[in-house]
Order: sequence, then C-alpha cells, then structure tokens
Amino acid sequence: MKFQLYPFALLLLFTQSLQGQTIISGKVTDRKGDILVGASISIKGSYDGATSDTLGRYSFRTRKKDSVIVAASYIGYETELRKVLITGPTMELHFKLKDAFNELNAVTITAGIFEASDSKRMVMLRPLDIVTTASGGADITAVMQLLPGANRVGEQEGLFVRGGSASETKTVIDGMIVQNPFFSSTPDVPQRGRFTPFMFKGMAFSTGGYSAQYGQALSSVLLLDTQDKVSDQSSTNVIAHLAGVGVGYTHKGAISGQLYYSNLAPFLKLIKTNIDFVKPPQGFGSSLTVNQNLSKNSVLKMYATYADNDNALGLPNYDDGGKTYLFSLHNRNFFTNNTYKVVMDEGKWVWQSGFSYSNNVDIIKIGETPGDRKDERSQLRSVLKRNWGKNMENSILAGVEYHYIVNSNVFGVNEAQLKENYSAVFAESEFYLTTKLAVRAGLRGEYTSIIDKPNISPRVSLAYKTGQYSQVSFATGQFYQTPEKNYLFINRNLGYELANHFILNYQVSKNDRTFRVEAFDKEYKNLVREYQPNFDPNPFRFPTGNTDNSGFGKAYGFDVFFRDKKSIKAGDFWVTYSYLNTKRLFQNYPVEAMPTFATTHNLSVVYKQFIPKIGTNFGVTYTYTSGRPYYDAANPVFLGDRPKSFNNVSFAASHIRPIKGSFLVFFMTVDNVLGRRNEFGFRYSSDGLSRFPVIPVAYRTFFFGISMNISRHAEVPKEGKLDI
Amino acid sequence: MKRILLFVLIAGFFYNQASAQNATDKSEYQQAMEDVVADIQEAGLEADFQPFANVLERIAAVEKKEWLPQYWGAFCYMMKSFAEPVAEKKDLLLDKAEQLIAAADTLNPNNDEVEVLKANIASSRIVVDPMNRWQRYGALSAMAIAKAKSINPANPRIALHEAQGVFYTPEAYGGGKIKALPLIKTAIEQFAAFKPASAIMPNWGAPVAEYMLAEAQK
Repeated sequence: MKFQLYPFALLLLFTQSLQGQTIISGKVTDRKGDILVGASISIKGSYDGATSDTLGRYSFRTRKKDSVIVAASYIGYETELRKVLITGPTMELHFKLKDAFNELNAVTITAGIFEASDSKRMVMLRPLDIVTTASGGADITAVMQLLPGANRVGEQEGLFVRGGSASETKTVIDGMIVQNPFFSSTPDVPQRGRFTPFMFKGMAFSTGGYSAQYGQALSSVLLLDTQDKVSDQSSTNVIAHLAGVGVGYTHKGAISGQLYYSNLAPFLKLIKTNIDFVKPPQGFGSSLTVNQNLSKNSVLKMYATYADNDNALGLPNYDDGGKTYLFSLHNRNFFTNNTYKVVMDEGKWVWQSGFSYSNNVDIIKIGETPGDRKDERSQLRSVLKRNWGKNMENSILAGVEYHYIVNSNVFGVNEAQLKENYSAVFAESEFYLTTKLAVRAGLRGEYTSIIDKPNISPRVSLAYKTGQYSQVSFATGQFYQTPEKNYLFINRNLGYELANHFILNYQVSKNDRTFRVEAFDKEYKNLVREYQPNFDPNPFRFPTGNTDNSGFGKAYGFDVFFRDKKSIKAGDFWVTYSYLNTKRLFQNYPVEAMPTFATTHNLSVVYKQFIPKIGTNFGVTYTYTSGRPYYDAANPVFLGDRPKSFNNVSFAASHIRPIKGSFLVFFMTVDNVLGRRNEFGFRYSSDGLSRFPVIPVAYRTFFFGISMNISRHAEVPKEGKLDI
Repeated sequence: MKRILLFVLIAGFFYNQASAQNATDKSEYQQAMEDVVADIQEAGLEADFQPFANVLERIAAVEKKEWLPQYWGAFCYMMKSFAEPVAEKKDLLLDKAEQLIAAADTLNPNNDEVEVLKANIASSRIVVDPMNRWQRYGALSAMAIAKAKSINPANPRIALHEAQGVFYTPEAYGGGKIKALPLIKTAIEQFAAFKPASAIMPNWGAPVAEYMLAEAQK
C-alpha cells in the first residue's frame, strides 16, 4: 500500500512545485532540545506559517520565492529571525529558541531583602498580608517583626535587625528618609507606625546588604513605595473602632483626604493595664494626598500629614519603692513627602526627584522637669536612571541627596541643639550577565557637617539561579551612620559608625511554596563608647561621660523561612526562625556583651484561613522570643541575666459584607489569647536591692472595629470567581 | 484503489482551486479571518487556542491597520490563560493579551467590544490571585465596562460580564446564581437581538450565557 501511494505522492509534489509552492517544515525546540508545542513559524510579511504540533514539528506551504525572513516565536522565548533563500520544492528549517528574559526564569537578588508587592510576581509577601496577619494589628513594623532577621523587643517600637538597635534601621518612603516614622516614643509603651499599610503598593524590608541608594542605617532599611493612581473612582471610607473614628474621601482617584480622632479611654477601661495612664492617649490626625498622572509618562505624588497627640502616664521610680511619677507627652508632627517622576524615551530614561519636610515637636514633662524634643528635617533628592536591554532589565543610576536637619533636646534648664548639613551622592548598576546571573554594584559617598569628613561605601550583590526554582544570592557592603544625637550633643568630634555586612542566601520557590535560608555576618566598627566609672542601666539616661569611637561589635547567625499557600485550600501558613549570636562593646558598656535589645532565638508561626462560604478570614500567630539580657549589679557577669522566654498567641478575624454597593469590613483581634504573664526583663534600684519587672502594657488585649467603603462603581470582590 | 486515490487527489485539487477562486473574490484578509474566526467559534473550552493566536498574529503582522486580528488574538490568549494551571504562566499569557488589546484599542479607539474584552482580561488577572488583585483589577474591569456601556449598552457581552461577576461571587458576598439570573436573562435577550456586522466581528459568549441560565434554573 505504502509504495503504491508513493508515485502519487511524488506526483503531488511535482504538481505543487509546478504551482511554484515550497513546503517548509522542521522542528522547534528550546536550547536544551526540549520540544516546544504551539510555537509560531511564519514568513515575515505574509500569511504563510504554521504552529508546531505535539512533537514540535511544523510544516506549511508558501508561494514566496527567493530571499525571505522566517520568524519562529513562542511565549516566554525570544523570537528568532532567519534569512532564508527559498529554493526547490521542500526545505527543512529547525529552530532552537532561547529563553526570553522574564520574571519566571530570571534570577532576582534576594540576599538581605524581603519584599511585599502587588506588581511583582516573585515576591513572598503581599501588602494585604500586613492587615490579615494576627498580632500585626495592621501595623507595618509589627508584621515585619515576624519576618526572618528581625528581633522582637516588646517594650519599644522600631525594627531591631540582626543584633542592631532600632536606631540602626531607617524608614524610607519613595526614596526619602522619614524622620519620625513612629508615634512619639513613650517609656515602655511601644508605639505604632504613623503610616497605614493601605498607602503603599510595595514594601521591602532589608535585613542588610541593601542598595547604595540608601544610607545612614547600620543595619537595615524599610522601603515603602506609595500607591499609584489606578482608577478614576471616587470613594468614601469610614472607620470606627474601640480607640477612635476616621473618615476619608478620595476624589476621582487623584485627591484624597483623611481625618481621624483617637481616644484610648474606652479601650483602657475595658482591659486591665499594667501601666497607670493618667491621661489616656488621645489625638487627631489629618492627611492630604494628591496622586496625579500629569501626562502619559509623568507622575506627581504629594502627601502631607499633620497629627497632634497627647498622653500622660505614671512611671515607677525604682529608687522610691516603685512610687510613680508623672510622664506627659504632647506631640505635634507635620510631614510632607513629594515626588515627581518622568519616564522618557520609551522607558530608557527615568528621572525621579523629591522634596520632603518634617517637623516634630514633643512637649515632655518628666516629673516636674521639662524634656522637650524638637526635630526638623528638609530633604531633597534626585535620581536619574538609564535602563537598557531587550526587556529593560539592566539599569544604571546616579543620584544626589541633601538634608538639613535640626535636632534639639531640652532637659531641665539645659538645651542642646544640633544642626546638620548632610549630602550624599550615589551610583549603582544592576545588570544581567545571563538570565541566570545578576549583579548589582554601587558606590555611595556621604558628607555631613557635624563630622566634617566624607565617607565612601561600596555595595555589591550577586544572584545566581541554580535551578528552575532555586537560587543563591550574596550581598556585601559597607554601611555608615552618624552617631546618635545624644552623643553628638556632648561631643562634636565623633566620627561615623560603621558596619560591614556579608549575607548568603538560598531560596527555593515553587507553586506558592517558598523555602529560604540566609546566613549573615555583621562586623561593627567605630561604635561610640562612653566612659563612666559605674554602669548606669537606665535606658532613658543622657550620656555624660567622655566619648570616642573605639567601640566595636559582631553579629552572626542564620534564619529560616518557609511559607506554604498551597497545601491548605484558601489557607496560608508561614514559619520563621532566626538565630543570632552577637556581642558589642559600645555606649556605656564596661565590657563586651550581648546588648539588651538582642535575642538569641526568635520563632514565629503564622496561619491564616479564608472561608469563602462565610466571607471571613481567620488568623492565628504564635511567637517565641528567648529572653533578652538584663543588668543585675549582683551578677559578676555584665548583662549575664536572662528572663524567661516570651510567648504569645494572637488571634484575628475579619469579615467582609457587601451592602448595596459598598463594603463593610468587621475586624477583631485578641492579643495574648492565653493571657501569659510575659516579662521583658528587670530594672533595679540604684542600690541594686529591689527589682522591677518590665512588662507589657497589658497582658491580654482585644480590639474590634468596623470599616466601610462606599464607592461609586463598587465592585464585588471576586474571590469566588475562581472557576470560569 | 489507485482510482480512488486518484479521484481524491483530483477532487482535492479542484477543491483547492475552488477555494482559491473564493479567496480572490473576497480578499485574502477577509478569507483568512473568516477561517480562523470560524475555527475559534467552533473550538470548545478545552481547545488549544495557541494555533489560532499564531494565525491571527501572522495576519496582524501584515495587516497593520486592522484591529480585528489583534482583538481576536487577545481573546485567544485570554482563553488559553484559563486552561493554564501555573499562575506565573497565566500571567505571561495575560501580558500578551493585554499587549494585543492595547494595540487594538490604538487602532480602533472608543470601541465597546475592545472595552468589554479589556474588562474580561482584567477579571482574568483577578482569578490568578483574587485576594490581592480584586482591588486593582476590579477597578480596571469596572472602568472598562462602564466605558463600554456608555458606547453601546446593547452589547450583550457587557451584561454577560456583569452576570459572570455576580454568578461566581459567593452568596456571602452578595453574589450567587440566583442573584445573577436577571443579568443572565438580559444577556440572553441581547444575544438574541445581536447581529454582528460581519462574520469576523466579535461574536462570542452566547453559549456561556446559556450555560449560566441552565445552572441558575437548576
């Protein structure tokens, strides 16, 4: 049968060549030789072409003659163009396509960085995670504390990263340092961040080895990127909870205003507190945001906020049997952050400039003594970036920064003031040697008038893709910071403090499951040391001794992170463990010791479950922190004591209900469900005879509230639209 | 045997000639589009839409002023994204769909069909990661649908899209099959009245409406 057909087949070919047609056929594979099904092969400028079949084979006829360009393309691969001279009745053309650069196959630098983003796909967190995590209380920092590399310090706000103090982390909004990211510090009452997570489309928490674009942080930066304008919708938002009420209105997606009033009195009446609030925290806040796309390629973002808060509490006097004295704080904070961004020449050039100004006043009374603090920071920043490559995947940027900072502090009749002119220049390039190997190299130079010396810090990160889903990443660099102002008030001859970071990271991410392990080593140099005849453990003291830059320190350890959003339907689960070993000789420490803000072991387990049937999200978070060092004069080993570990189970639930085109969100949280009596450490009277535990504001707390969003084109959430 | 083969061969030849004749009658563009649109209409949900997308992209590369090859190409990639199980790959396909519908929009601005497809592509983005995406893409989808409505409220695919939104929303969120019924019925009435201007104009979705009606009346 077969050979009978043969002459006819020949005849067929003959006929076709008579008609001037050529059959082009071949096979399409990737570079490794694996067949590609569904690839498109075509002759440019004609309809002629075909699609590769399940064997990667294709075949089509063409009447084209002579020289043509044959194109082979496939999603996720680079299109191959081949110049071909058409001759004869048949031709064979095989294609081996190269992987295109995309987020699926390109390596990303992950050493020392933890990102939450809506727009990038290969990130481990989403901004929504901030509001749905139990024990986070919709506070950005509180959730970041559950991530690897962060230590929890229960009685103080801020991010303590890998053996660093809170002042070693800077919060940055759209590239610019925020002077007062938290509500004003009150002894032993940790404060919330000033910014709601809903303001940001992306957040990145660095655990070290961060980019040369940022400086003045020995340990870490928290990078916050504000939302872009996404729609022209107008909407109104109303929120009411146990501690306050707020209202916001957004006009056509471009201008939005927010107002809130908070008063903790009802909340403090309902729970049992360990602190005597003479005047419950009370305050009001307002903000105005303008977010406008001026043209197709330029964006203007303006943000201004003003807040006024006050409170008073009784603090124990450790030398008077724990009798309390009054501490009162009245804070006024104004902050504005403005950026203008323009994209030119089809994304090849990006220019972003910004201006920010912050003015913070704390009127403080400690007993009868005034202790006012005033901070002012004006900041200018401009960055020009050039992108190149087929997918604009490579970039080089250069930028400048200028800050004018005025800090002043009153204590009794003394007033200290510090004026600083700080400027920085930086350049950085991020490029792909291959899709599997990425490099980021940068250099930052800084100069500040108070030190009157420049510094130059190099930073390098590398990432290499070891498999389809796995990669290793490495980061190193030098990080300078101007010493804390309390030291500069008394000594203007201090120099920069320095930290050198080394970070090695391995990560596997597949199908909504991520495993990540990171090891680090951090060397501190030139830390400020204060010489005192006797150690004074009071954390709120002002330095009085002689100071120099002879301090040093070291921190090393590793952390592990595992997240699984796959195994449990509509469930999400993550575990973090961090191990830290650190010692320092700094501040008024007489010998090298583990600092009081560091913990050896940190564990957190977060579980969230969404139940679509009842439209409710539940979350449980467990945290464990080993005891932090505290000072006991009776112990010959300096800071040799540890309290028992900190354990906490928190619960959160939120329920969404649409009512006539608007949403109602009910939320409630319970912190420390089991009511465990955690202790952060102890403080002693100056004779060392009586001790007082440092404890949370309350052992068990609960909180609830309701939020309503009314928008003109309210869309129903499409969580259920999974199976179309 | 030989005779049969010869007959088939000759018949085939004539058939080719005949269709070639047709092709010259119509225009190569019209014919090619009619063929591929017919293929798309006949293809079931399980079909691989990649070969159609490839044909459409070839046509689009030649006919630089026609919006329909881009439009149908975007439709094919969206359909393909539904069948793709891996979330990241779904997004790559939807990237492509967005790129093509943006091109169609440039060639034929303020068109209700283009807006409806934009809304459908935005909704497909939501499906990839509902919890995190509904806010952004929900707004984009709503905007596109609102624009389509202002251009041509009789377009049955507007009601279809809205019906789907309600149909697949859990009852706890104010959605569900019963709630979707009035919208499904509107869509079906509008589909009955709908006459595409030509064989290659957008004309899809009626079976989806029928399916939803059957489900809602169960």
